[in-house]
Amino acid sequence: MCTGRVDPAMVAGAFKKGLDGLMVVGCYFGDCHYITGNVQAKAKMDITRRLLKHVGLNQDRLAFRQCSSGEAAVFVNLVSEFDQRIREIGPIGGGGDPVEAPDIFRKMETAEAVLAGEKIRWVIGKRTPFLESGNMYGEVFTQHEFNRAIDMIIVEETEVQEILRELREGARSVKGLAQALTIPSERVFKYITALKRKGMIKLDKVSDRTPYFQIIPQEG
Amino acid sequence: MIYEKEKRYIVPFDDVPSPRAEMPEISVDERRGNFDEVETGFPESVAVTEAKRCLSCRRCLGCALCWAECGVEAIDFDMPDEVLELEFDDVIITRGQDNAFSAIDPAWGYGTYADVITDLQFERMLSPTGPTDGRVVSPLDGEIPARLAVIQTEPEGDENHLLSSVVLGVNESILALDRTEGLKITLISPLSPDFKERFLADAEKIAGLSMVEGKAGSVQRSGEGDPLTVTYSHEGADHTETFDLVVLLTKPVLSSETQALSKKLDKPVQ
Amino acid sequence: MADNRVLIVGGGPEGVKAARQKSEEGAQVTLVEKFPSLGAERIPRDRLIRSDEGFINPDLDKVRNDSNIHILPYSDIQKVHSGEGAYFARIIQHGLRVDNTKCNDCKACIKVCPVNMLDDFNEGLGFRTAVDFYNPVTAEYNIYKEDMPVCQRSCPLNLDIRSYVGLIADGRYLDSLKTIRDRLPLPGSIGRVCPHPCETACNRQYLDEPISICFLKRFVADVELNEGIEPVYETPEKTHPEKVAIVGAGPAGLTCAYHLARMGYKEIQIFEALPVPGGYLWVGIPEYRLPKKLLQREVDLICNMGVEIQYETRIGEDISFEDLRKDHDAVFIGAGCHKGLKLRVPGEEEYEGQGIIDCVTFLREQALNPTEGKGKLIVIGGGNAAIDSARVGWRMGFDEVYILYRRTKKEMPANPWEIDAAEHEGVILQYLAAPVEILGKDGRATGMKCIKMELGEPDASGRRRPVPIEGSEYVIDAETIVPAISQGTNLEFLPQDHEFSLSRWNTFEIDEDTCQTNIPGVFAGGDVVTGPDIAIRAVAAGRNAAMGIDEYLRSK
Repeated sequence: MCTGRVDPAMVAGAFKKGLDGLMVVGCYFGDCHYITGNVQAKAKMDITRRLLKHVGLNQDRLAFRQCSSGEAAVFVNLVSEFDQRIREIGPIGGGGDPVEAPDIFRKMETAEAVLAGEKIRWVIGKRTPFLESGNMYGEVFTQHEFNRAIDMIIVEETEVQEILRELREGARSVKGLAQALTIPSERVFKYITALKRKGMIKLDKVSDRTPYFQIIPQEG
Repeated sequence: MIYEKEKRYIVPFDDVPSPRAEMPEISVDERRGNFDEVETGFPESVAVTEAKRCLSCRRCLGCALCWAECGVEAIDFDMPDEVLELEFDDVIITRGQDNAFSAIDPAWGYGTYADVITDLQFERMLSPTGPTDGRVVSPLDGEIPARLAVIQTEPEGDENHLLSSVVLGVNESILALDRTEGLKITLISPLSPDFKERFLADAEKIAGLSMVEGKAGSVQRSGEGDPLTVTYSHEGADHTETFDLVVLLTKPVLSSETQALSKKLDKPVQ
Repeated sequence: MADNRVLIVGGGPEGVKAARQKSEEGAQVTLVEKFPSLGAERIPRDRLIRSDEGFINPDLDKVRNDSNIHILPYSDIQKVHSGEGAYFARIIQHGLRVDNTKCNDCKACIKVCPVNMLDDFNEGLGFRTAVDFYNPVTAEYNIYKEDMPVCQRSCPLNLDIRSYVGLIADGRYLDSLKTIRDRLPLPGSIGRVCPHPCETACNRQYLDEPISICFLKRFVADVELNEGIEPVYETPEKTHPEKVAIVGAGPAGLTCAYHLARMGYKEIQIFEALPVPGGYLWVGIPEYRLPKKLLQREVDLICNMGVEIQYETRIGEDISFEDLRKDHDAVFIGAGCHKGLKLRVPGEEEYEGQGIIDCVTFLREQALNPTEGKGKLIVIGGGNAAIDSARVGWRMGFDEVYILYRRTKKEMPANPWEIDAAEHEGVILQYLAAPVEILGKDGRATGMKCIKMELGEPDASGRRRPVPIEGSEYVIDAETIVPAISQGTNLEFLPQDHEFSLSRWNTFEIDEDTCQTNIPGVFAGGDVVTGPDIAIRAVAAGRNAAMGIDEYLRSK
């Protein structure tokens, strides 16, 4: 199977289950049977690494390396080096990551939800046209501009997915969400307003001086 | 051009804050008596780091996800701009809906505290089709306030502005009180003679609204989680009081385009 | 009498009210609103209301359903002028990019749109997405696509900053430079001297500090230079035979020539009164800010395209303006503002050239024939030319250098970083003082009588007006006095009986779109139109004029 087929959501899912390191080894650029599968793979893993780092994972836990199927010695070297590095960092959430266990697993769940989401998958898929032929307006992106677009989705979708996960467990207030998720309450207020505008949540009740919101189940 | 009101939303990226690169210079001693270039230019690593600070500001990404999702094929990225060449016998220039207001003194906490909002934002909040369905809530934490202050930010000069802004403040209070149980509103303004003569008696009859003839001084929060503290002077004495939400009465200004158009055609703005 | 066709600008409550009134009077009304929806559902501000009448505007429904009122939302008045009792307007109605006759308001698009922005209709209380409805009442959808980022919009030349900075971040320096040169042929020079309105607008300032855009431009220009790359500016194979004359080899003229050459014009002659190119960039901006060698190289690259510069050729003296017009199919005037304005105080005329020398002449002399200075130098003024003169004087060896300014540092129009640099170098700034009389002896200026000032009420520019303090006169000695109060145009090259329409500041009046003057085939741009202004604006004018000239010549 081509490394281009490795789904970023699967990567986050693996870390959620307690994996300590993951190395994706693809062919050298130019050697891909599917022409650009390995280029896609590297781009996807770069983006996945940005997201995992953003939510608090040591970014060295996810590596993308290249070697050909005939290079046994090179492969052994890559694996030993990666193994060595992971041993240095230690088990996931055990002090080698900015966020410790068990919170790190909740963060990985969020990362999985973001990476399984339509927004980031669609924009990742647009990488080649954006960088080469341009977007719907014919604007060709630099890699830096593309990274900013991806980072924008990473920052906001991480917060939105955390809010949605809480709401799936029951009605919540803006204040309650902010406290549970350590997201500034004024940002939670804006997200809640936006989710309501999109028809994804509605007012559940007002208790004392606190409005509570509940999720509206979506079709499909 | 495509307009956006002068409030910018920027995603809180992970690399914020990071300092701007400084241009290296030759020392003052090296400059005397010669014309050598003072600024020596960014080294490559500095330039790349600086360039990476760029936020690549962009609204629509042109990714066409909406187009892919739209079941009725209503999205059309190629919809052209239309250019109309028209002739008129008269032109009337109005303020439009820019809702630009003169710069707000940082002392009022607008932009620093999310629970300090403008009269224009309060108006949208009170609209039944607004972002909160007409409910009065604090944009800081979504809670319904119990104590609300409406304060005049530009108490000097311009009687017309003083009158209309206080009338707006009172009207907003009427709507807010009508739909918020147990709400108490304090409106602090010097109250123009015209307002006192025409409206004060009626305004004072509104249950839940206290009209304070005075001058507000500042809006502050002593610690996180605390309510806002408003200082104001009233009847020669200084007062402080705490509130859950503060509404600022702003002074409208004309956009530069409207001003330029008015000047160019020599027509007043109505 | 009711007018027939009325244009109403602005779709707020006042505009809606005016539209209804004019329609009732029998007029055909066009109501232009720049946002995507009218916004008249407001709380009244002229009477106290009952709690059930907050957002009702009976005018609004009438206006929306009135066949005599043509509503143009999301529209801009691009150009308007009046004449012969009528107004002519060019209105751009922006495409919403959503066909609202098909849209069923299912919200599928806004659920997936990855871009959040402040919801303008609701004054930024919440988010909208890039594709979303504007006004919840009318639920008309639009896609919000900025026409330019704020940096690009604030640049007079509309440089594609987002792209060229992004290319630097990617390490693609020469691609970045190519992007810049698509509009700007002087990146190394402008990257050193521009006061960068783009940085003043940069959104990053609201988070920490703006991006150092200007110096990044300089960086890529320097990369090419340091690597010894000599670029060749391409000209098209298809050429145009018409001859174009350009008056002045300053930023406007050079840029105009560059863009004309890129369009295929082969016969471009620049007439320059000075022995050097660059205009004010050469004789006004000091060497320590912009090395001449670097400017010369950027000019040479333009000349390599086939552009010819005739130096030391003064129009009106060496060639008459009429001959210039006769010999060329189009003329561009980019003569700049090279006349230092006078203080208009007693003694100034008497000692002119003898210890008193205006800043333009002072800086030009130093650029062309450098000399040493000694004694005390006093510069009068608060603009960049004043700072440049003082810093040049300090380098020339004057023992003491003073700047006298009638307001305070806060009101100084010079760039703050230039003021700081001058102070850093030891220039002494004296605020709230103005000259009253130039004093002299034996035909030479020896000093100046000054008066102390205080700040009064704000004037038309919004700055507080300086007012003399009576009886506070004092005398300072000086060997050299340099007035640097402002600059004006010198239009002596025009014939006495010329028919150009000029402003009261003696600058050309032009068509904003094409840069054409009232005389067909004669175009003007840069300081000679705007008065003393920043170089990038002159560059932008040069480019506009090139397009105007092309349009004029191609339609002939």
